[in-house]
Amino acid sequence: MSALPVATSREVRSQARRLMRQHPRELAFSLSLHVLATLAGLVAPQLLGHLVQEADGAVDDVTSIALVICAAVVAQATLTRFAILASLKLGEKVLARLREEFVGRVLTLPMSTVEKAGSGELITRTTRDIDVLAHTVQMAVPDSLVAFATVALTLGAIVLTAPVLILPCLIAVPVLWLSTRWYLRRARAGYLRANAAYAQLTGGLGETVDGARTVDAFGLADSRFARVNKDIAESYEAERRTLYLRSVYLPIADTGYMLPVAGTLLIGGLLYLGGHVSLAAVTTVTLYVQQLIGPVDRLLYWMDELQVGGASFARILGVEAVSETSGDGRPGAVEESGQGIVVSGVRHAYREGTDVLTDVNLKVEPGERLAIVGPSGAGKSTLGRLLAGVQPPSGGTITVGGKPLAQLPLSERRKLVMLVTQEHHVFRGTLRDNLLIARPRARDEALEEALRVVDAWQWAEELGLDTEVGSGATALAPGQAQQLALARLVLADPRTVVLDEATSLLDPRAARHLERALAQVLEGRTVIAIAHRLHTAHDADRVVVMEDGQVTEAGRHDELLGQGGPYARLWHSWHAGKAAPAD
Amino acid sequence: MHHFPEPDPGRPDLRSPQRYLLWLATRHPAAASLAVVHGVLCTLAQALVPYAVGQAVDQGLVDQDKQALVLWSGVVMGLGVVQAITGTLRDRCSLTNRFGAAFRTMQLVTRKAAGLGAELPRRASAGSVVSVGATDITRIGAALESTARGGGAVVSIVVVAVLMLTLSWQLGLVALLGVPLIAWGVARLMRLLHGHQQNLRQEQGALTDLSVDIIEGLRVLRGIGGEEIFAGRYRERSQRVRHEGVRVATVEASVVAGRLLFPGLLVTAIVWLGAHFVATGRMSAGALIAFYGYAVFLAEQLRRATTMVDQLTRAVVSCRRVVDLLLLERALTSGDRDPAELSARADLSDPASGLRITPGRLTAVACASAGDAHALADRVGRYEDSGAAYNGVPLSAYPLAAVRRKIMVVDHEARLFSGELGAELSSGPGTAAADLDTALDVASANDIVEALPDGLSQEISGSREFSGGQQQRLLLARALAHDPDVLVLVEPTSALDAHTEARVAARLARHRDGRSTVVFTTSPMVLDQADHVVYVEDGRVAAEGSHGELLRDARYRSVVTREVSVS
Repeated sequence: MSALPVATSREVRSQARRLMRQHPRELAFSLSLHVLATLAGLVAPQLLGHLVQEADGAVDDVTSIALVICAAVVAQATLTRFAILASLKLGEKVLARLREEFVGRVLTLPMSTVEKAGSGELITRTTRDIDVLAHTVQMAVPDSLVAFATVALTLGAIVLTAPVLILPCLIAVPVLWLSTRWYLRRARAGYLRANAAYAQLTGGLGETVDGARTVDAFGLADSRFARVNKDIAESYEAERRTLYLRSVYLPIADTGYMLPVAGTLLIGGLLYLGGHVSLAAVTTVTLYVQQLIGPVDRLLYWMDELQVGGASFARILGVEAVSETSGDGRPGAVEESGQGIVVSGVRHAYREGTDVLTDVNLKVEPGERLAIVGPSGAGKSTLGRLLAGVQPPSGGTITVGGKPLAQLPLSERRKLVMLVTQEHHVFRGTLRDNLLIARPRARDEALEEALRVVDAWQWAEELGLDTEVGSGATALAPGQAQQLALARLVLADPRTVVLDEATSLLDPRAARHLERALAQVLEGRTVIAIAHRLHTAHDADRVVVMEDGQVTEAGRHDELLGQGGPYARLWHSWHAGKAAPAD
Repeated sequence: MHHFPEPDPGRPDLRSPQRYLLWLATRHPAAASLAVVHGVLCTLAQALVPYAVGQAVDQGLVDQDKQALVLWSGVVMGLGVVQAITGTLRDRCSLTNRFGAAFRTMQLVTRKAAGLGAELPRRASAGSVVSVGATDITRIGAALESTARGGGAVVSIVVVAVLMLTLSWQLGLVALLGVPLIAWGVARLMRLLHGHQQNLRQEQGALTDLSVDIIEGLRVLRGIGGEEIFAGRYRERSQRVRHEGVRVATVEASVVAGRLLFPGLLVTAIVWLGAHFVATGRMSAGALIAFYGYAVFLAEQLRRATTMVDQLTRAVVSCRRVVDLLLLERALTSGDRDPAELSARADLSDPASGLRITPGRLTAVACASAGDAHALADRVGRYEDSGAAYNGVPLSAYPLAAVRRKIMVVDHEARLFSGELGAELSSGPGTAAADLDTALDVASANDIVEALPDGLSQEISGSREFSGGQQQRLLLARALAHDPDVLVLVEPTSALDAHTEARVAARLARHRDGRSTVVFTTSPMVLDQADHVVYVEDGRVAAEGSHGELLRDARYRSVVTREVSVS
């Protein structure tokens, strides 16, 4: 099951209706053009029927009839052009709106939801589901509407030509209805399985390539060959399943298409021989019935696509449900005089029942430099995220200047506290774009100053602020990406900074130098640094040691060393083998 | 029907892409020829429907003959049934051809990629190999499948042409000249459309990239802000896609109109001429109806025939990529010296750097530059040809597989494969399953396994499921479970926190006691546990001794200690 919700089919239907109601005029315009185009397409068989009946009629008649057919063809083509253009334009408009709303919602999703779902799930929704929806809106919806209109109008034309000749068409209805229902009920699962099996097959080769060295080191060539064979077996099995479904459905459907043609000829012919209908009517209706095969086929084909599109639409709307149910709180100012951050009785669990933090109490004074250390899995990063208000704690409170952090609106919170983690994502765009995120109207001088603080000006100047970076463009080293993140921090200049392993990707000496420079710039700001390198702790005003989701020790570096507790042990093991302690 | 996978994909003909395609096409001769036969029968049945309808009108209706009417209506229905059945049989045979070619190619490429091993990244770009799986096998398969429909189309075009010319050579000529002309015109229009669509796809791709970028950077944005800026950027891009989409729509609408207009005009011309002939008694009414049907039918078959040519051309391009890849051969040669000699306890040496690894000890190598560590590991593990030798005999003298079994190198390029975690950790020949628990314990990786709902039976999707530190511990556990005579580890603890690093270093030393272990590292915690430490600078051994002894060397100290000076 996915961690992100999916909209119910009722919501999907009501949203689809809302979209239609939003553009009543465009919709009516494009639909009426389609109807007119279809009507023009019904002229030729009608006149052809006449020609057959009046086989020995005057030649003049023939020419004028041909001219009318010609005019009808031209009219049909012209009307179709404008009808398609109108519906595609409308589709593009609706689609742009849907995806913009969707990404807007993604950007306001609570972080906890994003993490629970995993970015993979969100990426699937933004890429695959938006693509499927695009296909549905641009192709499936208009074309199935057109096909439906064509079928309805053609049937109408048959009734007008000779009401009794509608009967042979009806023979096909139960055949097509039952077989299509049988097929559609099974097809979805079948094709999904086939696609999944194919993805598995492709993924297997990707792994072999990515892990080529491992294959070599462990002698896994045979096991990779066995893996591709296993994937092939599954893929083939899945393909055979869909082939079976088609082998049953398509012959029945194809026969179903031909039934009305033969039926009209036979029944219509017998009726004509009995003098109940005209020869023209039989001929016209036979041609009409043949013309019906195309649109009926398309209509049935799109049924499946529409289902798939509906499922994607439901997943896209599902994201809305989350962002609406968890708002970011009401606005409210925090006094400039803030009394620091107070953490009381905080516990936190990502998954129900497994607490990562249990009863954490901590007070951070304004302007204090605090270091949080401890083994991995102790809950350091979680505490950092809670301190930055990235997500509210499961229990207990975190207040800034007396106000609960979680209730502050996002923009307000950002001025108070910012978080930089070891995550080193470089956004696609220029180097300048990457910095302006923090302060949109900053001038180049300010950018240069920020880059200098983080020791990044040298390479940044060489590269140039206008160089495109990020995936697909100039790649930055992980350490450089961290410097960028810290430069953004300098530009944004919040009152409190949480650094979670923010220099872990730089080499130790460079990290230390950068941290010192940063400390100078952030003079007077509260700095909370989470680190596994202990020099950070050594430089801090106060060290907090965390173990198993709790604060086990807190105090100045020297004090803790003197106490001989966990911190002292950690410090000594870190300096294991060193000739003499430096201090 | 045939069964896949085949145990052995066979020896492909790699002399040219065309020959490779032909080789694939002739792997299942029975299925391939049956597919074409059914394809021809199916289209022929379709082609004869207008004729039968025409006969029903002429002989049944115009001549008022009830028997003829019943007969020809029956023929129409019969043709429908034949078409339905042969179409299905064609598709069934095509499946064997299509997937036979795709699966066979996949087997060959996988075998080649696995065989090239560590050389693969240097010899071919990852993207080009992966795209074989993602697109090329689909193209090759689709092209072989299209031969059945395309073959049917070609035959039916000829048959219909003959039929038309016998019914009325004048009308037949009009149709035979007009239809290809229209097909050519429509193809031109389509090409125009494809050009525009390519621009649209590029814009769409850029928009998708932007949304992926936003999601991947969402945590960063959450920490520091900038959501509104990105929402704005996305809106701007999205509107660009919309405008490009409208431009494509304008062309597309005209193409659709053209596809209606040109055949429509041709049909009108045929009807006008035909009606004249009918009026003057030179042709029957039914024949006119048949012509009407043929004009429509021919246009469709021409499209199919051109599609086949188009797909075959693309398939040749895809085959070229496959053939290029399959022609790659390993550069590292395999010697023929008796691998049994490798089981002697002896020194492993690298003359280029002066590194000498004595058996049974934990040797730590501290390199001033990370590049040296990788180059050295590549040499002593024979991932590159060099003078590296075991017991004085160059490694290149032994079979490559034997060297790999003897010396295992684990570096930052090591990966976990998807599958059951326990099986992946003990994968490869020569791993005793019981050792896995011990190995997990040594690597401090127990907690990772315990955190998984299904423990060792958990299905994992590869390395990326785990954090950097977790990956390192799991990869170390896998190497330890494999228990090679010589284990070479490159920076195995760089992503671990101090606590865990100290624990892993101590346990590693104890666990590997008596066997040769080489660790390239600059971590004082690991160096302190080593029996012997080598310091390498500028690609040469600069000093040797214990960690404590070497700390007196200022160069070594500056590399390995994260010195804390009083500020």
